[in-house]
Amino acid sequence: MAISPSLIETQHLVKRYGDKIAVNDVSLKVDAGEIFGFLGPNGAGKTTTIKMIVGLLRPTSGSVQVSGFDVQAQPLLAKAASGYVPDESNLYPKLTARELLRFVGDLYGMVPQQVERRIEELLRLFDLAETGDDTIDSYSHGMKQKTALAAALVHDPRVLVLDEPTVGLDPKSARLIKDILRQMAERGAAVFLSTHILEIAERMCDRIGIINQGRLVAVGTMEDLRALGKDGAQDSLEDIFLGLTGGAEYAEIAEVLR
Amino acid sequence: MSDSLRVQSVPASLWPAVWKLLRLRGLILLSGFRRARLKRKIGIVVLSLILLSFLGFVFFISWALLRFLRSPQLVQFAGDVTPVLESMPSLILGGAFLGILLTSFGVLLQALYLAGDMDFLLSAPLPIRAVFVTKLLQAILPNFGLICAFSLPVLFGLGASSGYNALYYPFVLLALSALTLAAAGLASLLVMAVVRVFPARRVAEVLGFVGAVASFLFSQTGQFARFGNVNQGQATLALRSLERFNNPWSPLAWAGRGLVDLGEGHWVAGFGYLTLSIGLAALIFGLALTTAERLYYTGWAGMQSIRRKKKTLKATRSTASGALGAGAARLIPPAMRAIVVKDSFVLRRDLRNMSQLVTPLILGIVYAIMFLRSGGQPPPGRGEAPAWFMEAARNLLVYGNVGISLFVGWMLIARLGGMGFSQEGRSYWLLKTAPVSAGQLLAAKFSVAFLPALALGWIFLLGITLLQRAGLSILLFTLPVVALCVAGSAGLNLAFGVVGANLDWDDPRHMQRGSSSCLGALVSILYLPLSLLLFFGPPLLFTTLGWPEPGGQLAGLLLGGAFSLTCAVLPLWLVRKRVLVLGEG
Repeated sequence: MAISPSLIETQHLVKRYGDKIAVNDVSLKVDAGEIFGFLGPNGAGKTTTIKMIVGLLRPTSGSVQVSGFDVQAQPLLAKAASGYVPDESNLYPKLTARELLRFVGDLYGMVPQQVERRIEELLRLFDLAETGDDTIDSYSHGMKQKTALAAALVHDPRVLVLDEPTVGLDPKSARLIKDILRQMAERGAAVFLSTHILEIAERMCDRIGIINQGRLVAVGTMEDLRALGKDGAQDSLEDIFLGLTGGAEYAEIAEVLR
Repeated sequence: MSDSLRVQSVPASLWPAVWKLLRLRGLILLSGFRRARLKRKIGIVVLSLILLSFLGFVFFISWALLRFLRSPQLVQFAGDVTPVLESMPSLILGGAFLGILLTSFGVLLQALYLAGDMDFLLSAPLPIRAVFVTKLLQAILPNFGLICAFSLPVLFGLGASSGYNALYYPFVLLALSALTLAAAGLASLLVMAVVRVFPARRVAEVLGFVGAVASFLFSQTGQFARFGNVNQGQATLALRSLERFNNPWSPLAWAGRGLVDLGEGHWVAGFGYLTLSIGLAALIFGLALTTAERLYYTGWAGMQSIRRKKKTLKATRSTASGALGAGAARLIPPAMRAIVVKDSFVLRRDLRNMSQLVTPLILGIVYAIMFLRSGGQPPPGRGEAPAWFMEAARNLLVYGNVGISLFVGWMLIARLGGMGFSQEGRSYWLLKTAPVSAGQLLAAKFSVAFLPALALGWIFLLGITLLQRAGLSILLFTLPVVALCVAGSAGLNLAFGVVGANLDWDDPRHMQRGSSSCLGALVSILYLPLSLLLFFGPPLLFTTLGWPEPGGQLAGLLLGGAFSLTCAVLPLWLVRKRVLVLGEG
């Protein structure tokens, strides 16, 4: 295993579907203790990239390393180090939250007593203690999302990958998630999250990557990205994002709706 | 916003809105056909032609059969069957009404409350009644088509063979349509009333389970009937009992009686009965329509605000282990155990799965009773079979308990093994992102299919052996035979299940897709007799040759065991790499 501070590293990542290139030569690194925001318009390749990082999709070419392990060559070690929250939770509807967390704990080979302790902590933390024995099909969207996050945290991963984690959450739950992510980063974990809410990316993330039409068009801190903008330090992330991903059409739409 | 974008007209009255919605549905259908692949288009056209030919065939058969029933020779044998024939329209129309009423409940529940476009339709500026009527028509049209396909040719055939006048034919269609609308209206009232009390989704689950089990039970109870023993008196009595459906006091018989009277030229009685019948149908449909405005909307709105009743479950770690047995749980790696326990919860709790799992049990019980009733003896036939053949058949039937046990196990495996991976559905990402190898996944899914099938197979085997009072040596031989056969079948079904896995479904009853699951069932059907031949061939041969039977049983276990274990392991080894790319399509 190579000694590297980077817990997530993609090298020349490419994913093709027939003639269509969904992800084109994406190389990025996320270090321990860092929150990395991954932005891009709809269909830019965010979810495809994320799915390759967590091992849900095989890259056409290029490689992904998680916690120093190649996701294709050493998938079990890479997966054991990471936790994942998808954009749509899709949890087993006929399991209770408690059973789901126990199931995930067992999948990750945790000691039973440790799993039980962790389940109680997480259910309390996410305000699910009272509903922990109800089946998931009776949950609201927000509760399902929180259950998915709890499932990703059961084994206390070193790498956390989240696809649109705050969609459908109330402000209290969204704030809770932001606090948890910050705490995890402070404890040395790498957090990789995609979001459409630029305010979250601007305030939470240490570094931001912007993907457009499958290509990574910018990576860096807010200062690095501002340097790319027209007005330098005056630019907001929204201006930078629209400038890099082509925002002219939005102005036209606004004109039509006026 | 510019004025040119303002809405021109909103269909405020009922029928223009219904027309608009029906036209939209037609457009979707047409567009689906236009965009379909050429192969599918040809298939649809061919299927339509086959259906038309079938209708013509049923009409011809009905006409010929009904003429035959009126023939003087038959009248001499069975008596005058004219009253029976005249009761046929009442019987068919009554049956159609009850059939539509029963089947419409589930279809309307789905169409009125669980369809994906309800939010869109009810938030659009359309009368609620229009949405209700459109959904109602859309839901009952397939059933109506099916009923027409079977009843129209028979009713028309009756008209042709009885020489009814021309008015009979359009009124058949009118009566059938009116009764269908009345049945659907009644069913919709029932649905609207039930949904106000119980969550629609839960009702659909319970209905699916009860419907599947009941229809299966009804279809299988026919196995107990001994039609060969029916005498002429019983047949005549059964035929005459049909006339009771033609009671003038029964509203269900009015339409049928009216049609016969109309066909025979009794105009007053014919029009009287038909007016009564169609008027009553219109009244029921009108009641459903007027009630729909209030009941339908409040029921639907209630679904949005009231979450389904929570089902609180107490599932401690000990009960989870209990699903496997504490001893077995310790032997199995945690990830495998987790998957087995998870699957046992998921399968048990979804009633839609349960209906598929209960089927083998019902079939097993039916066939076990039939087997025990035969006393384990081969049917004597006409007595011309040679003695050695009857002896061999008798020896083979000693192992008949294995056949039934395997049949039960095989049916369960086809569901649990063949759909082992498909049943993960969209939740498969949880397994795919977890540190679980393909081997562990396959082993876990194999256990999920093998263990319940083995348990059920052994229960049947023990039960039948005890009731048959078969010897201990037979039991000791057949227990491993069942276990090994079930293992081979589980391996084959699971492997084909991996190849044809479908993870994109909403209803567990729709998870089966493609030809690989059928192929899996077919291969395992071929596998079972082959493995049984290897297991039972040597002991039967040893008995025939007068050699000691235990030697033959040992040889059978070695031969059949090797074959079964190969079938359990080899197909899974071949598909292990496919497991790694599941869900990436």
